Amino acid sequence: MSSARELDVGLGLLDHQLVDCKGRRCGNVDDLEVEGLRDGQPRVTAILVGPPVWKGRGWLGRLAAFIAPGGTVRVPWEEVERIDAAVHLRKTARELRLGRGDDRARRWVEWIPGS
Amino acid sequence: MDSGLLMRFTDLLDARVTTESGQVLGRVHDLRAERTSRTLKITGLIVGPSGFLERFGIGAPESGARIRTRDVVPWSAVIRADSRNVVVRDEARKRQ
Amino acid sequence: MSKVFQIALGILAAIGGFVDIGDLVFNVEAGATLGYQLLWVVVVGVVGIIVYSEMCGRVAAVSKRPVFDAIRERLGFGVGFGALVASQIVNLMTLAAEVGGVALALELLSGLPYRVLIVLGVAVLAVVIWVTPFEWIERIFGYGGLALLVFVVAAIKLHPDWGDVATGFVPHGTSSDKLVYAYFAVGLLGAAMTPYEVYFYSSGVVEEGWTPKDLGLNRTNAIIGYSLGGTLSLALMIGAAALFLPLGVEPQFIGTVALGAQVPLGTIGLLLALVGILFAVGGAAIDTCFSGAYNVAQFFGWEWGKGRRPSGAPRFTLAWMVLLFLALLVIMTGVDPVLVTEYAVIFSVVALPLTYIPILLVANDRAYMGQYVNGRLANALGLFYLVVILIVAVTAIPLMILTHQGQG
Repeated sequence: MSSARELDVGLGLLDHQLVDCKGRRCGNVDDLEVEGLRDGQPRVTAILVGPPVWKGRGWLGRLAAFIAPGGTVRVPWEEVERIDAAVHLRKTARELRLGRGDDRARRWVEWIPGS
Repeated sequence: MDSGLLMRFTDLLDARVTTESGQVLGRVHDLRAERTSRTLKITGLIVGPSGFLERFGIGAPESGARIRTRDVVPWSAVIRADSRNVVVRDEARKRQ
Repeated sequence: MSKVFQIALGILAAIGGFVDIGDLVFNVEAGATLGYQLLWVVVVGVVGIIVYSEMCGRVAAVSKRPVFDAIRERLGFGVGFGALVASQIVNLMTLAAEVGGVALALELLSGLPYRVLIVLGVAVLAVVIWVTPFEWIERIFGYGGLALLVFVVAAIKLHPDWGDVATGFVPHGTSSDKLVYAYFAVGLLGAAMTPYEVYFYSSGVVEEGWTPKDLGLNRTNAIIGYSLGGTLSLALMIGAAALFLPLGVEPQFIGTVALGAQVPLGTIGLLLALVGILFAVGGAAIDTCFSGAYNVAQFFGWEWGKGRRPSGAPRFTLAWMVLLFLALLVIMTGVDPVLVTEYAVIFSVVALPLTYIPILLVANDRAYMGQYVNGRLANALGLFYLVVILIVAVTAIPLMILTHQGQG
């Protein structure tokens, strides 16, 4: 029986685009934190984003994690507002410490007229 | 990563699923979950064949439902789970 | 502006934008080497790119995911990352070839030194990308590329034996060197089924916010545009077969390609050919450059798209700039652009399965596509081309080596 509230974690969440409350793209769901496997109340407690997270995604993931700069960002599940093709978050990327790569890269670009 | 109470989702994928009596059901392909207002509860295990092609959805039964229909084992049937093995009760029924 | 007029303009831009440096090189070389024998392969290639684009466009419109999003979601991070690296290497080679082609066309038009024109050409492309709104880029380069229609006129004026031409459309064996025949067949398919065009198209679909309702009209646009654009490729081959084959000329230079218009039509033919090449290849360079940036931004979840403005999508902007700069470096080494083109087309054919297979899978996945999942026709064509692509991917490099890039 499927309802609008049911989803498959790998199919509907993993590797999906994250979008903040302003519509800004701010990373992908690189992995998810799962708790409660032993106490019979298993649940997804957070979304994990960032190059170090890729270490769990196979040997190519480890290679990519080695090359890419950046840290892990943990987005608690309560920050998720809704899920469609992307995962929409309640707050801005800045508040959630996401999309910092773009923030850092912006100064390389914003000095050019017309940006 | 501490595999006791806190795990990564990708750690759980591909874990072998067997019944108490040792019958091999397959591998963890995915987790079925249900959203409540602030949480995402895991309600079931999606168990699939260990086959290479099946991982990519080839041979998965077609259905009109939004959620792909495969063998779902309700979490209530899970006895224990870690990143290597998941053991379920013998009477775990496969249902949609 | 009436709807019909708009559609017509869109189709015109698609025709002018169809040909890129891979098509120029392979169609002319195939004609000069094998005459009309491979015309049927061009048709197979054009249908192939239509099938591939249609699927990617449909996936993007329904799932709101462009190609590299879908690849990562469907095949996972590891495989997706491998596909990303492979596609970026190919993109860079293709972009370098196109930058070289632009510089060569400018050299023939202006007489200025080649190396200066490489830098100038890249600078102009960068400024155009920066300053021009997205739709206008496609229009400018698309309409400019229509000058290539001179090759259709030229092919007719060269009075080929139309009976011979007609037999070229029927797949048949060859009395010539079979390996050379196979090599050019592979190259022509690779030149027609360019992946970067597909990445670009699917990203555009998501950026413009197309819904499945928009698909029907734009699918027709693509079919008509690509089919008519394909006649340019056919004209290049027919003209080369009529002109170069009897003379035993092996077209190693872009200038030789332009001869195909100059000999029958004089200076006007030459000018139109060079202008057409400049715009078609320049437009292709921009498409390639963007598609490289799209791929990496989409795979890592960065903000992307020209509509976001450069400071709204900084890493995406830096990505296309870096790609353009790297292509500049590659071509400044003095490597022959025609040679780079041949390598780029062959390598893109080898990497093609990595991006085609995921799209075929996603297009069949009801969970993603709902009612817009592949029907029987789409799957029949999709599977046919999967087989074609796999055969071509596996045989491309051996054939290239064995035939010394078609020289036998």
